[in-house]
Amino acid sequence: MMRPRPASALVLALALLCASAHANPHRLDDSGSHTVPPNVQMQWRPMTSRSSGAGMEAWLRVNLRIDTAAWVGRSGRVYMVLPRDEMSTIEAVWTSQGRLLPGRLVSGERTLVYAGRIASPTLEDQITVRLRSGTDWQGSRRRLDFHFEFDAD
Amino acid sequence: MKAHFAPARLSHLAASAGVLLAVLQASVAHAWSLSLDPASRRVYLHVGNGTAGADNSTINLVQVSVPGAQLGNGVAQAMTSNSTQSTSLYGDGYTTCPTPSTQVMVGASYQRSNSSNGPASATLSVTSPASLVSAAGDTIPFSQISWTVSAAGSSVPGVIPAGTFSGATQTLTTVPANRYIENCHTFRYANSALRAAGTYTGQVTYTITSP
Repeated sequence: MMRPRPASALVLALALLCASAHANPHRLDDSGSHTVPPNVQMQWRPMTSRSSGAGMEAWLRVNLRIDTAAWVGRSGRVYMVLPRDEMSTIEAVWTSQGRLLPGRLVSGERTLVYAGRIASPTLEDQITVRLRSGTDWQGSRRRLDFHFEFDAD
Repeated sequence: MKAHFAPARLSHLAASAGVLLAVLQASVAHAWSLSLDPASRRVYLHVGNGTAGADNSTINLVQVSVPGAQLGNGVAQAMTSNSTQSTSLYGDGYTTCPTPSTQVMVGASYQRSNSSNGPASATLSVTSPASLVSAAGDTIPFSQISWTVSAAGSSVPGVIPAGTFSGATQTLTTVPANRYIENCHTFRYANSALRAAGTYTGQVTYTITSP
């Protein structure tokens, strides 16, 4: 009768661990979220004679409803992600009601909004967001598609 | 002699852009996403006393009384201003014109969201009538009035250049996109000829335009 050799078992365990790590991040469904208002027009930020290039900003609220049903009981981290849509950077800074973390996010990056055990099938919060950009847009209208990712421990 | 100056003026270009599209998408709300419209193209002009971000109807007065012994002797006479605007109205509240009693602050900007959203610059100009006129109908050419410029704390105090009124519309400078320019204008009367006694007045108007 063949018995598995210890070296083989170790290799198998490492492979499984690597597979688990590579599975992160997991895209979370937040189709229950909505922004208020759904469309926003930027406003000019004050500009001074001693600093050129002041950009634009806008404020909005977002009612977030993130589906975490598949991860109830698991621990990990939830990130807000803003893919880069063009070379001109968008900065989002937000405050929350406490369920999620406040933070700052620049297009092309992701920022932690929750860490710990997922205790309920949804993560809900209302965040107040300030969006800022420069004056180097490539077009006249932009579509920002934020989303959320879960990195399981 | 009195010279009236134009009120601060605030203009918005293409202010209504994007409203229809906003209504069309108002019922669509899925996930944390949104459509983002840029700020409308905008020009801003501030002359003398003004109000940040709003229209101001003040027309400041610049004047000089020439002493009888110096009438027409060719010695330029400094003019005073009733402007009290010493601090910049745009942004940081910096004291650009520390002595507004002899200065009129002029500030202008032109903003656009991207290089295809209008030309690369706007034009700042001033229009003066041919002459200042007295109640008796006597005249003094507006070209008798000139101005120097300054700006406390600025590395480019001449960003709007000094000059002499031409009695017509004259370009002062171009305002590059997404820059704010500002300095202080101090006026003087050339006093190069004898004039009939009287109070002579005339009004100049500053304008910023972007096609």
